[in-house]
Amino acid sequence: MNALARSNPIALRLLLVLALPSAALAADPPAGDAARGATIAATCQGCHGAHGEGVPATGGPRLAGQTAEYLGAQLHNYADGRRTNPIMSAMAKGLDAQKQADVAAFFAAQSAPYAARTVEPAPEQLARGRTLTRVGDESKQLQACANCHGPDGAGERYATPYLAGQSAAYVASAIKEWKSGARHGGEAQMRPVAQRLDDQDIAAVSAYFESLGDNAH
Amino acid sequence: MTQRLKATDVVIIGVGMVGSIVAKELAAAGYKVVGLERGQPRFTVPDFQGPAVHDELRFDIRKALMQDNTKEAVTFRNKVSETALPIRRWESFLPGTGLGGSHVHWNGQTYRFHANDFQLATKTRARYGAKFLDPDLTPQDWGVTYADLEPHYDRFEYLLGTSGKAGNIKGTIQAGGDPFESPRSRDYPTPPQKEPYHGALFRKAATDLGYHPFPQPSSNLSQPYTNPEGVKLNACVFCGFCERYACEHYAKAVPQTIILPVLLKNANFELRTGCQVQRINLDSTKKQATGVTYIDGAGNEFEQPASLVITSGFALNNVRMFLLSGIGKPYDPATGKGTVGRNYAYQTVSTVASFFDEDVNINPFMASGASGTLINDFAGDNFDHAELGFIGGAFVGAVNTNGRPIQYHPVPPGTPAWGKDWKQAVAKHYNHTVMFSIHGSSMSQRQNYLDLDPTYKDAWGQPLLRMTFDFPPNDLRMAQYVTGKAIEIGKAMGAKQVAGNPRKGPYTVTQYQTTHNTGGTIMGDDPATSVVNRYLQSWDVSNVFVIGASNFPQNASWNPTDTVGALTYWAIDALKNKYMKNPGRLVQA
Repeated sequence: MNALARSNPIALRLLLVLALPSAALAADPPAGDAARGATIAATCQGCHGAHGEGVPATGGPRLAGQTAEYLGAQLHNYADGRRTNPIMSAMAKGLDAQKQADVAAFFAAQSAPYAARTVEPAPEQLARGRTLTRVGDESKQLQACANCHGPDGAGERYATPYLAGQSAAYVASAIKEWKSGARHGGEAQMRPVAQRLDDQDIAAVSAYFESLGDNAH
Repeated sequence: MTQRLKATDVVIIGVGMVGSIVAKELAAAGYKVVGLERGQPRFTVPDFQGPAVHDELRFDIRKALMQDNTKEAVTFRNKVSETALPIRRWESFLPGTGLGGSHVHWNGQTYRFHANDFQLATKTRARYGAKFLDPDLTPQDWGVTYADLEPHYDRFEYLLGTSGKAGNIKGTIQAGGDPFESPRSRDYPTPPQKEPYHGALFRKAATDLGYHPFPQPSSNLSQPYTNPEGVKLNACVFCGFCERYACEHYAKAVPQTIILPVLLKNANFELRTGCQVQRINLDSTKKQATGVTYIDGAGNEFEQPASLVITSGFALNNVRMFLLSGIGKPYDPATGKGTVGRNYAYQTVSTVASFFDEDVNINPFMASGASGTLINDFAGDNFDHAELGFIGGAFVGAVNTNGRPIQYHPVPPGTPAWGKDWKQAVAKHYNHTVMFSIHGSSMSQRQNYLDLDPTYKDAWGQPLLRMTFDFPPNDLRMAQYVTGKAIEIGKAMGAKQVAGNPRKGPYTVTQYQTTHNTGGTIMGDDPATSVVNRYLQSWDVSNVFVIGASNFPQNASWNPTDTVGALTYWAIDALKNKYMKNPGRLVQA
């Protein structure tokens, strides 16, 4: 940890903020190279789009413009089992640390138009989603998403991903993974939040974030 | 015209940490409780949410969570021969206001005092002789022992969910904890917070020097926790906005996250906010309270009759309430007679800044208010004072609570206070400096006390509290000695430059030190030298209790909150099991 903190303040921030209580990063991750990452990213296109715009029909989330630190940490988590997904676990295990960093750097450097909306929320549902993400709900002791994910899901560099414009199905599935305990690497923060959300609120939050696709990244 | 309201069993003045815990216990026991809070109601949602809650200008500089001193200030002077003036801008200490009180903006540092502290006068004389103390010092025993309070410390820490590592469980020393602590019945409810890099550097250096470092006990929690009241708290994210701020994450133990959700559901409790209590009313004998008089936000005056009055405000306000109500005899420094306002004490805080090379990244912004690493080797009476000429001590710790850009800019001594050179020094040292806190005890002294100001009044026409205080020479000698030890640790950490700043007199209210104001309604065994008995019941008016740091006969080496919490549950135990069954004096003088 000493060497890590000395050389890379961002990495230590990730270690503390993203990955409590388990240490996500045993050592400094290598610096990624977006050009090399472009070659690897060809295999990601089917689910994430050529420029990381996401392919909601496949369940593949938008990646364009997420930080390399966040994306790299997720690949690392898939590779060591903190996150599981039939496709992503296999993909990530096939990449060494350098390749994980390269492909993360590639998608971090992309900007892409937003995928078409997948849900048509009713005004009340959208309003509920806006309230939960901006203000929270004291009756559930539930804080606003904005505290960590930034105003209207803009993201909070470097550890916390943006959610604005993310597909509703992906956000909902991610919250459910936190809630069930299936997902690790940040569960100290996300699990208690997800546990306070019922299915209706998960749908409202997810629909609201998807509707924010114009908050460009 | 004063409206007389329907009588209630209990009225509580100040719904902060103490008030909400007492109210919860008495309401749950079936008593009708009215809580009077001068400030506004406020909750984690919506009042403490981001990004507004991190507004440094609003909260750090303009002190949005603090008592409104355009309406209600404190006047200050260093000594009796001076004329006190109102503190127009809080700096040295920061009394809060509003639901949850000052607890909302604390740092979460949660220490027990040591057994010795509660019998300071007796133990000091026994170890060092009757003539060891400076003649002006007025240390006293508390009338309770650590053993009396231990179960109540335990209960309070489990209410908060405090994250720490025990050093002594039932007499068995635990590796990794504080070996000097007095025995606790079990470990902390949650494990310590992660150790930041500056703490790791401190730990290594302190260990190499033969000291005993341990993780700072934190009520910014290391993991999600459900307390015995069934209230859930979240894990801290190390955002570095604790003290002077409210926590948006439900991760800091404050009334809103530990007890208010339960209290506010109890139909026996009624919360009234915006209510400025003017005085506790006494009957013609002056031996019984009949209730309180308060003015609401619209300026209407009410009398709230009650069988029992509990003053649970900030320490300074507790003292003022007793003085305004004519309960007990005000202290007179000329004669040493009288008790109310006596033994006002504070905290003697020194600092050391260790400046490192630019390849050592400290990342001070990545912190909680209590994620430091400390030693207690020079705290309390953990070291031999016989040749040192003072009593008391300080914990020494690498306690970087934040790296907030407006307030945090350590620069080496000799740096200009403004301009280009200052800016360059700030940029150079911001991420490469470790700050130590040398957090020391404060002895009570004959000349230091609180009374009512003869000139200045609050917005309701009542006299302000007047503070007369300067650091006792004993405490300045202590600060000098322990700061010297801290400088040695900074050097052992490998810092290029170590700048020690031992506390020096005279005390000034224009420089932030700490909000640990203590004494003025002190507890004890003798009505001639204390305001309340060991159960925190007024010696003079038996149906008035006062609970807070104002009960401390002097202040110890650590932050007061845990001890205030222990005293709260200790007093609740006496109220429920003794007083309520048979109202009257619990201790015969």
